[in-house]
Amino acid sequence: MELTIDDRTIEANRGESVLQAALRHGIEIPHFCYHPGLSIAGSCRICLVKVEGVSKLMPACNLSVVPNMKVSTVVPEVGRAREQVMQFLMLNHPVDCGICDKAGECRLQDYEFAYGPPRSRSIDAKHHKRKLHDLSPRIQLDNERCILCSRCVRFTREVSKTNMLGIVERGAHAFVERVDPESDDDPYSDNVIGLCPTGALLSRDFLYQSRVWFLEPVRSVCTGCSRGCSIDLWRRKKEWRMRALGEERNSMLYRVTAHENPEINGPWLCNKGFDQHKLMSRERMLTPMLGDAPASVEQALARARDLIAQARSPAALVSALASNEELDVFKATLGARFRVYAREDAVAEPGEVVEDEFLIKADKNPNSHGVRERFGWRTLTAADAQGHDLFLVWGDWGDYAGFGRAPVIHLESFARQRDRHADVHIPLSTTFERSGTFSNFEGKRNRFDRVLDKPPLVQHAADVFAQLDAELAAPQELREAS
Amino acid sequence: MKDGPGDADAGALREQFDRLRTGYPSQMSASLVLPLLQIVQEQKGHVTPADAHVVADYAGVPRAQAIEALSWYTMLHRQPVGRHVVKVCRNIACALRGSDRLLAHVEKTLGVAPGGTTADGRVTFLAVECLASCGTAPVMQVDETYHEQLDEATVDRVLGELP
Amino acid sequence: MSGQRGQDVHADNVFMSFAVTSDSHTLDAYRARGGYEALGKALRTLRPEDVEAEVTASGLRGRGGANFPVGSKWSFVNKQSPVVYLCCNADEGEPGTFKDRWILEHIPHQLVEGILLAAFALNVRHAFVYIRGEFDLPLRRLRAALEEARAAGLVGDGILGSGFACDIVVHRGGGAYVCGEESSLINSLEGKKGYPRNKPPFPAVKGFYGAPTVVNNVETLANVPWIVARGGAAYAALGNKANPGHRLFGISGHVNRPGLYELPTGYPMKKLIFEDAGGILGGKPLKAVIPGGSSTPVLTAGEIETLTLDAPSLQQAGSMLGSGGLIVIAEGTCMVRLLQVLTRFYRHESCGQCTPCREGTAWMDDILARVVDGRGEAADVASLRAIPEGILGNTLCALGDAAAMPVLSFVKKFGNEFEYFAANRRSLNGDRLEA
Repeated sequence: MELTIDDRTIEANRGESVLQAALRHGIEIPHFCYHPGLSIAGSCRICLVKVEGVSKLMPACNLSVVPNMKVSTVVPEVGRAREQVMQFLMLNHPVDCGICDKAGECRLQDYEFAYGPPRSRSIDAKHHKRKLHDLSPRIQLDNERCILCSRCVRFTREVSKTNMLGIVERGAHAFVERVDPESDDDPYSDNVIGLCPTGALLSRDFLYQSRVWFLEPVRSVCTGCSRGCSIDLWRRKKEWRMRALGEERNSMLYRVTAHENPEINGPWLCNKGFDQHKLMSRERMLTPMLGDAPASVEQALARARDLIAQARSPAALVSALASNEELDVFKATLGARFRVYAREDAVAEPGEVVEDEFLIKADKNPNSHGVRERFGWRTLTAADAQGHDLFLVWGDWGDYAGFGRAPVIHLESFARQRDRHADVHIPLSTTFERSGTFSNFEGKRNRFDRVLDKPPLVQHAADVFAQLDAELAAPQELREAS
Repeated sequence: MKDGPGDADAGALREQFDRLRTGYPSQMSASLVLPLLQIVQEQKGHVTPADAHVVADYAGVPRAQAIEALSWYTMLHRQPVGRHVVKVCRNIACALRGSDRLLAHVEKTLGVAPGGTTADGRVTFLAVECLASCGTAPVMQVDETYHEQLDEATVDRVLGELP
Repeated sequence: MSGQRGQDVHADNVFMSFAVTSDSHTLDAYRARGGYEALGKALRTLRPEDVEAEVTASGLRGRGGANFPVGSKWSFVNKQSPVVYLCCNADEGEPGTFKDRWILEHIPHQLVEGILLAAFALNVRHAFVYIRGEFDLPLRRLRAALEEARAAGLVGDGILGSGFACDIVVHRGGGAYVCGEESSLINSLEGKKGYPRNKPPFPAVKGFYGAPTVVNNVETLANVPWIVARGGAAYAALGNKANPGHRLFGISGHVNRPGLYELPTGYPMKKLIFEDAGGILGGKPLKAVIPGGSSTPVLTAGEIETLTLDAPSLQQAGSMLGSGGLIVIAEGTCMVRLLQVLTRFYRHESCGQCTPCREGTAWMDDILARVVDGRGEAADVASLRAIPEGILGNTLCALGDAAAMPVLSFVKKFGNEFEYFAANRRSLNGDRLEA
């Protein structure tokens, strides 16, 4: 059907609200409490619009589209209503943008500038509520900044279903509270930080780390499980990197936000996803090693090449953290020489949610599907291990006891205390340091972009495979030679 | 009958809970939240968050729901109250017929301002909104009972007779 | 003891058709007056749609304050739905209103009969009475009446030997004026905070636990037995043509005989105030009247000269019939202090859900409390004119309008008192509220 919003005629679907139809067509109707993933609250009242033939202004979020409806948002009546709603919202708001993390990405700020009155009419002292305090180990809540839009409450009631948050007290005394502090933390709690249209709910991890306008998001994929939710990793914009900040603050990842992906995670993400940037803080392997001695890249590759050339029955343990592109290169090059085994790099930690009916999957690796597609899924047993005379381990691995006395080439990203070292250690780039795709548990491909530069001696796995393969004789020749 | 502060008597409560439940269609246990909170209050005079959890679990609703309800309904007390609760209406019809005067009188007699409880724990004094007795204003409610067409003398008599 | 002081009793009255005695509320007494004959007639000789047709023909409008045609509301319900609910709104809380309480105390069986007739018309198996938590005697009388009715086969299965079954559950509120709003009542009845709901969907389509639900006021339902007994046309002939019938008008404040008066709609307001209610205390001149409960715009003495107690007349005067509870104010009363009594009330009762009401009611009360305390500022009166404009029509439910209209009307009609108080930091009328 068709309806008109101001001077634009748009098509809309039966059952849609005027707000939904408008947003779909890129028409701005301000809204706080409405969110496509939550039930309709209709309580903020900023979305009030004028409908021809109706005397009262109507909230666009709860207004079903009707054929030939004429909606106005530019008439003075609507402007006045918006101004008045903003006045009411700002009445007791602390306006502490100067010390609030949300500044620069705050809907309340944006709407106050766009729709608010030139100045407040109030001459009374503001009422105070509880300032920034811990809601949980991960989230801080400032009740003064809260506009009681109930997005956070509806999220924990309808989406994560933990009922962690509620609004207590009546009238202007109302405030958001964690209603059962004894209950377990909500594994999706951090979503409320992005949902909150003001600086009321803030990430403790990100608190005071940076002004958001110095940062930029880079699209990535969470590596926490096989759902592979889309995320944004936030780094400092190039033009805002300053010597005075120091290398760490110039190059670190500041936070993770959910990236809306209708195919995979919708607008949501689990807390493990929100912690993805912390993977950076694990100690890296930064230089190649031969045994326990640092070596040059050339030395390490040469030794690896020799070990592969000598092996008669080499085994490769392929990483489910590898990207599809890396796996393709491995298959097309070096991998042809090996009997390939698959494994899960990561498993659920104690206390971690294993699987639920929402986002979290039991397989804690982002690309098991990619591995399975290319190599099948054959796991290395003790019996299998006895039959091999070389192990190429790709990815995170504990100790080599299961390999007997066979030599080990280990391509890995992170440092680890070891009693026994591999014959060759080659440091690898992480997901943050290259682009690529993962295939999630349903086989959906999801793209991640490079967000960081890799350290100088660290190698991309694909380069290592290609180079080693080029320096070695063809596999048939090898077999003929034996 | 009001016990002292602390956990409600679980056994007696359970019996009353079950009896209340039989009065409602079986699929409506959620509706019991407010009446259950009222039963707890009748027994011990006020309702704690722990009580609200018990009520929520019995009614089969999220604990958040009962906690929110407990904080939202004016008649529910979350702090211990006196043995008697005196509610004097301060709304318009009573105001036109002298409720200000009576509120001041009660405050002077009891020695506590509205919202407070006497030191001996006998009376909690509250100023409340319209009790739907405007035709016989001014009005107060002492525990369950309405006392209408009040003057200072009547107030003195009623308060004086409270054990 | 409320109302009915020196009230004339007429056999044709809808409510006050008998002299109140110590047992006139019992089943026997009600039956002796012809009670439950309408129910019997309906169950034996009428179809549900016939009962609805009589109510529609009667022109009966809701008595809770919204004044919506009852037959229309009932017609919105799809009676073929698997479940239909009826909720009787006994959460009487509108300041100045005390009629439902009288019905519960003195004619509870008439209400029960009205509920049963409505349930019959709407195909309701479970009806609820949501009764305000503060009520004591009304609650006890209602519960006693239901016990009598159950014992006599009037409530429950096989009512009066017919195939019609209906149970009535009494549910107490917890102290919240907003729960008198029908969707708030429903949320409260579902075990939640009494937050009103967005409409659409309307309760008649999707209400209690998602099922079609009708919420009717006590007085509304108490009209139904009379209508079924004597016919809708007979009711439509009573009182004012546009909104016919009798109402239990309440009158309180500065009158000699406050109380309830059963009167036909269209009755002259001045007559009620100066004759039936005995005029103003101390013979003082009249200053103002709030005609239909505190949420209706105040009228000056001059404005009520020719007014009649019906919706068209009051609407034309810029106010409303509302809940029919008149509040009478004598000359010498400080309108500023009186308004602050109301802003304090609405602020306390705002549920907190939507922005304009939550913030606006607190703001208006903050300003008035400051003015009344002798700390008024020049900007205050202008603010009191502007803030209600930001609330009216912009809120999720009518409580916002109810809070805004007194402020708007008091400041408009008694602006000089407000300006004086703000500028001089004291009342023009010596803080007086009593006559």
